[in-house]
Amino acid sequence: MIKTKQLTYQYQPNEQVFSFPNIDISDQDDLLIVGKSGIGKTTLLHLLAGILKPIDGTITIENTNINDLKSNNLDKFRGHNIGLVFQNNHAITSLSVYDNLKARLFLSKQDIDTSKIDGLLQDLGLIEFKHRKTNALSEGQLQRLGIALAVIHGPKVIFADEPTSSLDDENCRIVIELLKDQANMNNANLVVITHDHRVKPYFEKSITL
Amino acid sequence: MNIWRISVQNIKSRPLYTFLSILVLSLSIALLLGIQQLKTSFEYQMENNLGDIDLVIGAKGSPLQLILASVLHIDNPTGNISYNEALTIGNSPMIEKAVPISYGDNYKGYRIVGTTESFLSFYEAELDEGDFSNRAMEVILGHNVAQQLELNLGDTIISSHGLIDNTIEVHDDELIVVGILKPTQKVIDRLIITNLESIWDIHNHEDHDHDEIDPDQHEDDVHKDHDDDENHDVHDEYDADDDHNHDVHDERDTGDEHNHEAHDEHDTDDEHNHDEHDTDDDHNHDVHDEHHEDKEITSLLITFRNPMGLLTLPRTINENTNMQAALPKFELDRLYQFTGVGLQTISWIAYIILVISGLTIFLSLYKLIKERAFDLALMRTYGASNTQLIKMVIYEGLVIIGLAFVVGYILTKVGLHFIINYIENSPQQNMLQELPLNNILQIIGLVFAMIILAIAIAIYPIIKMNISTILSNEK
Repeated sequence: MIKTKQLTYQYQPNEQVFSFPNIDISDQDDLLIVGKSGIGKTTLLHLLAGILKPIDGTITIENTNINDLKSNNLDKFRGHNIGLVFQNNHAITSLSVYDNLKARLFLSKQDIDTSKIDGLLQDLGLIEFKHRKTNALSEGQLQRLGIALAVIHGPKVIFADEPTSSLDDENCRIVIELLKDQANMNNANLVVITHDHRVKPYFEKSITL
Repeated sequence: MNIWRISVQNIKSRPLYTFLSILVLSLSIALLLGIQQLKTSFEYQMENNLGDIDLVIGAKGSPLQLILASVLHIDNPTGNISYNEALTIGNSPMIEKAVPISYGDNYKGYRIVGTTESFLSFYEAELDEGDFSNRAMEVILGHNVAQQLELNLGDTIISSHGLIDNTIEVHDDELIVVGILKPTQKVIDRLIITNLESIWDIHNHEDHDHDEIDPDQHEDDVHKDHDDDENHDVHDEYDADDDHNHDVHDERDTGDEHNHEAHDEHDTDDEHNHDEHDTDDDHNHDVHDEHHEDKEITSLLITFRNPMGLLTLPRTINENTNMQAALPKFELDRLYQFTGVGLQTISWIAYIILVISGLTIFLSLYKLIKERAFDLALMRTYGASNTQLIKMVIYEGLVIIGLAFVVGYILTKVGLHFIINYIENSPQQNMLQELPLNNILQIIGLVFAMIILAIAIAIYPIIKMNISTILSNEK
C-alpha cells in the first residue's frame, strides 16, 4: 500500500520546484508512472524510496509515514520493505552473484536463506552463474540479477526506474513480465517509472507526470 | 556474509592497489623498526656497557678511541701504559675500584682481555660453570664466545696476535678454559678473560722465541747490552697490526734492558723462574716490583668513591703525566651526538616514507570510495547504515595495516638476520640487541594512528554521500 499527499521537492533554493500528483494504491496493485525526461520521474522514485526527503507532503508505505522515520530507521525500513531496480543494473562489483544476494539479505538484516537464493536464481536463469563476479555477466544477466536483488528480501514495494528503456521489444516484455511475476510472488506493489510507452499495456493503473 | 567478508572481497578485487599500499607501508615500518633497533642497540651499548666505570686511563691519543677500545671493546687501543704507574694512580684514596686491562690478542676474532676478577663486577657477570682463576694461561669465556665457538671447560685455545682473527701470527702457548660466564647482554659476553700474567707471559715467550729464532738478533741483544733499537725492531716485526702499541714501547721502554737481562738470566717462565731462584723474600719482592715496573697494560678502568675524584684526577693525569684520562660518559655522549645526527636523519626519512604510505593508503581508500560510490549507494538502498559502510572501509584499512606489519616485521627480521650474519663475521662488533616490545608497540601505535587518520579523511565522502545524486548519475 502506497499513499502520497501533495508531494513537492526542490533540489536547491531558487531551482525548479517539483510537485507530484497524489498516489494511492492498495496492496498488490501495480502502477505505471510515465513522463518526459526531466519531469522529475527519478526524483519521485527517490522520494518514494526514502532516498530523498520531500520539502512538503507525506509518503505512507505499509501504514508507515516514511518522512517521520529517523535516518537509521529509514535505512532499516527501506532495506526490509523496498526493492529497487535501476535502468542500468548494478551490483556490488567485488562480490559474486551469490554473495551479492547474501549481502543484500545481510544488509537488510534478514536471515540468509540459501535455498531461497538458489530458487530465485533458478527462476531467473542465473543459477549456473552464481559464483561469477558481476563484471563477468552480460547485460541481460545483470538485468536479471538486478531484479533478483530487488526481490530476494521479500519487499512490500518494488520500484523500477526506467527498467526497459535500453531494451528491445522482446527483452522489454521479458523484463516487465519478470517484474510482475516477482511482485505477485512476493505480494508486493510494483511501481514502474518510465518514459517508455511500450510498457503501458502491461499496467492497468498509470499516472502521467 | 558480514561486513568483514565484504571488505576482504573488496581488497581481493583490487590486488594492485592493495599490493602497493602494503609494500609502501611495510617498507616504512621495516625502516622504522630497523632504525629503532639500531638506535636501541646503540643506546643499550652505551648505557649498559659503561657499568660503573667513571674514568679510563690509557695512553695518550684519541679519548674516544680509548673509550671504544677499553669499554666497548670495538676499537684498537691508543697504546700501552706502565702498569706500575697505573698501580700508583689506583692507590689514590678517591678511587673505589681500579681495574687494569691489557690486551692485544684474540682467539678467532674474540678479544682476550687480561685483567683481574674485579673486571667482572663492572658487568655484574657471574660464572655459569667453572671458576675464575688467578693462574696464568687459564681463561674464562664470555657467554657468546663459548656458545659461538662451542667451547667447554677444559678445552684449550691458542691465541693470535692482534685484534683480528688471523692464522699468521699465532702464539705457541695454550690457554685452558676454566670458566664460562652466564649471559649478561653486555660486552663481556664476547670477551675472553684471563689474568694479566697470561698476556704478559705469552708476549714474553714470544719475545724469547724471537730471540731464539733470530740468533743474530739474540747475539746482538746479549752482547750489545740489549740495544733498545734492535729490540724494538724485533717487536715491531712481531706487532704488525698494533702500531700505536709500539710507539708507546718506543717511548717508554726504559726498563727493557733490565727486563731482558732478567729473562736472559732466568728461565723463560716468569713464575717458575721466580719460584726456582728467589729464595730471599725481599729479593723476590724487588724482582717482582722490577718486573711490574716493566710491565704494561692497555688501560686502567676506575670507579670513584665520590664525584670529587672526577673533578680533580682527570685533569691531574692529563696535565702531569704522559697518560690520558678519558670520561666514558662524556665521550660516548659525544659519539652519540655525532651518530645521533645520522640516525635522526634516517629516522626522519622513515617518518617521511610513513607519511607517504599513509597518503597512499588514503588515496587508495578515497579512490575506492569514489569508484565504488554506486556500490556504496546501492548498499544504502539495501538497508546498510553509514556506520556499516564506514566499518567496511575501516576493515579494509586495518587489513592493509595488519598485512603491512607482518611484511614489515618479516623484512626487518630478514634484513637484520643478514646484518647479524655479517657482523658475526667480526664478533668484536656484535652490538645488535633485540628491539623491546614497547618500542614495537610504539611504532604500531604511530602507524595505526596515521592510518586511522587516513581512513577518517577517506570516509568523509561516505558521510556526505548523496545517494540520490549517485543513483541518478548512474546512467
